[in-house]
Formats: sequence, structure tokens, C-alpha cells
Amino acid sequence: MAIDTGLLVVSTVTLSAPLVLAALGGLTSERSGVMNIGLEGTMLSAACAACFVGLQTQNMWLGLLAAVVVGVVLMQVHGILTQAFGIDQIISGMAINALAAGATSFVNKGFLTLGVTARPVLLPKQFFWIAALAAVFLIGVIMNRTRAGLRLSAVGNDPDKSRQMGVDPIAIRYLALAATGLLCGFSGALIASNAGSFTDNMTAGRGYIALAALIIGGWRPWPTLIACLGFGLIEALQLHLQGTQLAGASVPTEFWTSLPYLVTLIALAGLLGKNRAPAGLGRP
Amino acid sequence: MKGLGARHIALALLAFLLVWAAVVATKVPPSEAVRSFIDGSMGGPAAWRQTFREMTPLVVTGLAVFLALRAGLFNIGADGQLTMGAAAACHFALAFPGPTGLWLGSLAAMAAGAAWALPAGLIKAYRGGHEVISTIMLNNVAGFLTVWLAAGPMRDMKQQSPTTRLLDKGSFLPNLVEGGPFRLSLALLIGILGVAILAFWLKRTVAGYELSATGANPSAAETAGVNVRAVTIKAMMASGAIAGLAGAFLVQAFEHRFYANFSPGYGFDGLGVALLSGGSPWGLVPSAFLFAVLSSGTSSIQLTGVPKGLNGILLGLLIMVFASVRYRRSRTVGD
Repeated sequence: MAIDTGLLVVSTVTLSAPLVLAALGGLTSERSGVMNIGLEGTMLSAACAACFVGLQTQNMWLGLLAAVVVGVVLMQVHGILTQAFGIDQIISGMAINALAAGATSFVNKGFLTLGVTARPVLLPKQFFWIAALAAVFLIGVIMNRTRAGLRLSAVGNDPDKSRQMGVDPIAIRYLALAATGLLCGFSGALIASNAGSFTDNMTAGRGYIALAALIIGGWRPWPTLIACLGFGLIEALQLHLQGTQLAGASVPTEFWTSLPYLVTLIALAGLLGKNRAPAGLGRP
Repeated sequence: MKGLGARHIALALLAFLLVWAAVVATKVPPSEAVRSFIDGSMGGPAAWRQTFREMTPLVVTGLAVFLALRAGLFNIGADGQLTMGAAAACHFALAFPGPTGLWLGSLAAMAAGAAWALPAGLIKAYRGGHEVISTIMLNNVAGFLTVWLAAGPMRDMKQQSPTTRLLDKGSFLPNLVEGGPFRLSLALLIGILGVAILAFWLKRTVAGYELSATGANPSAAETAGVNVRAVTIKAMMASGAIAGLAGAFLVQAFEHRFYANFSPGYGFDGLGVALLSGGSPWGLVPSAFLFAVLSSGTSSIQLTGVPKGLNGILLGLLIMVFASVRYRRSRTVGD
């Protein structure tokens, strides 16, 4: 059972990059106290926008821009629904996921499949790798070293106390959600660019895996990066080990794909250290 | 808290405009789309058969989510519990042909659903881990596990796709009414009966009252002597058992087999059904009916050239508008 280590490293990084971007998107939102299970739908919509615009203009950079715009708009919708209308954050996230699944499938069936045969020029993978790493570094510095980061955590831990101290939680949350949209836009564009075309539900639960990595990373940038790399490695190993025997018995691929979710359940059960969820998560 | 205002009307109008724009963008005449929608959901016996078929899993999963919601729990995991229930029901129906398989299958489905909800209940009760996250994870694991089951141990090798063989006719859940293309399954009646039982149970029993009290204010319930942990775990398991039964109904009354990627998302729609019920169990019936009409209507609308994705757009917007009116969280300070 020989594994080409170099190839494994490259595929691990490739598979982790969209997770890192999306998980960091989840981080800015959740550290500001807004629960975000809408990551999946936001990534999916961004991927769809990237494909649509990328194919129409034959320019994937414009596709990336469209993905970012769609991501930011959807996350501002999440912000308006939860902050201005006061809808429960979980319900809003679910509604965004339902809307995104429907709308992207609608656009795909109705407009994408018609008359477009040319494949767009793919964006360089390395660009996204650098973007992901830069995002981890930047968010790490902002969270730990700046006044803005301190305010973000303060709002996420106790919105009422922040309000009394003169920090407006609502404004900070809209900003944090814009960052979430930006990062999910990058993540979706990367997934679309890697695939070269859009298929229904092409994010295939990566938004939830990103959420899982965020939880395992304790809502901190660097540990979240490591969790994403771990999940990327599992996915890469699974691709490399397909069909090979492990300890005499073949392990079904479904076991490997379930592994991130199982690890997250174990983490939620508190078997991997203490619960670090922001104290004000989900509060208005 | 602010009341209903112009902004709610604006939101509803915006949602309506979005749907309208989506239909117009497909260049299908809106009048034709609307007619096809109504014909496909309520125009004739075959359309009603389809609507009632869709309504059955929606009533039952709606019931499951509603029960958990009353206890203050978001059971996003109904989809996974339903899928596990369907697999269990199919296994027992295949192992024991005839009515035995029907009964054993139903019990096994409830047990499987409850077992699949248990980790989420335990994590919530003892570790404070959010049930939404744990049930999302459990959904994904259930998805992969059942794909493996349908493609491996349970597979009928004579079939091209990963599916089991057909159930013995004796293990079918019978139809109440059969006439021409029309069918009305006993499963729907059982589902509505379940709504009645839940309404009675919540209102008239101590356990039902304790469940609502826990959902309304857990610390007050704890002070009043309710074992909040026990209620949380039991509510989650009961919700899972009901969702599992929805899976059993799908196998026994409609599909008569189990296959990979079994649920098209009935569990998630169940959350929408429960939210739109307006806080009363009886509201589940019209709410499930509405979702069923949307589903069969948008299936039919495809023939005119409007993609089926319209269903997701409608559901998402419907939940947003309805939740903005009903499921608001009050602020304690500064509003």
C-alpha cells in the first residue's frame, strides 16, 4: 500500500482550502454571536454565481466577484432577518439553505444548461491557498490584537453588556456577516472553479463540515485551520485508499466520509476538551 | 417588542416579487404556470393522490419536529431519523413477510429513529452541546450509513441501482380508498390521528405539561421540580421515534422498498411544517397540506418549463416571511 506523499499533501491542501475559507466565515459570524448554519447555502449560491457569471463572461475573476457579491448579500439577508426582524437564527439559517438549494437548482435547470458548452478558464488553486492562509493569519491578528476583534468577541459573549458599554452589537454583527459572505464567496468560487461547472448540491455538505471544523477548533482561527486540514486529509486519504485493503478488510468509503461528522459528535460530547462556544451565541 | 408593521408587509411583498420574477424569467406565461400548478396539485384524482402522498411524511415529520420544538429543541435531525427508520422498517418487512413484518418493521423504525436521536439528547442534556449541530452531524452519518446499507448488505443484486427487493404484499400498509387513479393511504389517517393524540397529550397529561414547561422556561421548570434533563432526552427520543415512523410509512405505504438517498428532504420540510403550524398541533394538518400542494404543484409546473427548484425558493421565502411574524426573539435590554 504505497502512498505518494507529495500527491497526498497537495490533495489535502486542495481539499482543505474551501473548508478553511468557509469555516473562517463561520468564525466571524459566530464569534459575533450569530449562529450560522446557512454556510452551506451561502457557499452553494456563491458557487452557482461563479459558474453563471464565469461562463457568461468567460472570465472566472468576474465569477469570483459575483460569488463574493452573492455571498455578502445572502449573509446580509441573514443579518436583516435575525437582527432587524428578530427571527430565530437557526430558522433563518435553515430558510437560507432551503432558498439557496431551490434557487441554484432553478438557475441551473433554467439558464445554466442552455447553450453554454465552453468551459471557463479555471482560477489558479494557489491563489485560493494563499487567500485561505492569509485569512487565517489576518483574522487571528484581528481577533487577538485589535480593538475591533475585542469588540467582536464582546458582542458575541454578552450582547446586552456590550450595549450598555456603548458598543452597538447590531452594527458589528452586520460587519461580521459581510466578512462571512466574503469568505463563503471565495469558498464557493473555489469549489466551482475546481469542478469547472455547476451541478445541483455541488457543495455536498462542505458547509456543515466547515461548521464542524469551527467547533472542533473551538471558534479560534489557527486550531480551526488544523481541524480543516485534518478533514481534508481524511478526504484525501479516502480518495487515495479507494479499493485498497486496511488490516485485511476493505473499509467502505462511506465510513471515511462519515468520519468528520463522527469526530464532531465526539467533540460535542466534550471528549476532546472543554466547550468553547461563544457565550452569547444565538442571543438577539 | 415591536408589533407587525410596514416592514413585514414589505418583506412579504418582496418575497412575492422574487417568486414572480423567477417565473417571468423562465419566459413561461404566468397564467399557464399557475394553471399547471393548480392542475397538478388539486385538479383531479391523480393530482389529489400525489398531494396526499406528499402530505403523509410531512404530517408525521412535522409532528416529530413540533414535539421537540415544544420542549425547546430544534430537531434538525428528523431527516436522518426518518432514513434510519425507513431502513429498519424495510429490513424487518423483508425478513418477516406478511403482517408480522409490517408490525415489527414499524416498531423497529421507531426504535431506530429514537436511537438516532439519543446522542443529540444526551449531548444537549449533559454537555450543553447544541442539538442543531449534533443532529446535522447525525443526519450526514445516517445518509452515508444508509447509502452503504442500500448498496451493500441490503441490496438486491438483480437491480441496476442500489436498492432492496420489493416488500411482500402482506407487509404493505393498506390504502383506505382506491378508485381509478386515486389512492388514500391509511398512513395519512394514522398521521392525523397522531396529531390528535399529541394535542390531547400536551394539554391533558402531566408529562405533556412538563414538556411544554421545559420548552417555555427550563430554569423555571427545574425550580418547579421538573427533571429538565430527563424531559430533554425523552423529548428528543420521542421526536426521533415519530420521524422514524414517517420513514416506515414511506416504505410500507408508498415505496415498498428502500434505496440509497431515500429521503428527498422530508425531515427538513418537517421543520417548515412545524413552524407554519402556528404553535398548535392542529395547525400541522393544514400546514402539511400546504407544503404538499407546493410540492406536487411545483412537480407539475416543470412540464411547462419552470424548474422544480421553485419549490425550494417558495419554502425558503415562506419560512422567512412566516417566521418574521411569529418566531421573533424578544430583547431584554436596549430595544
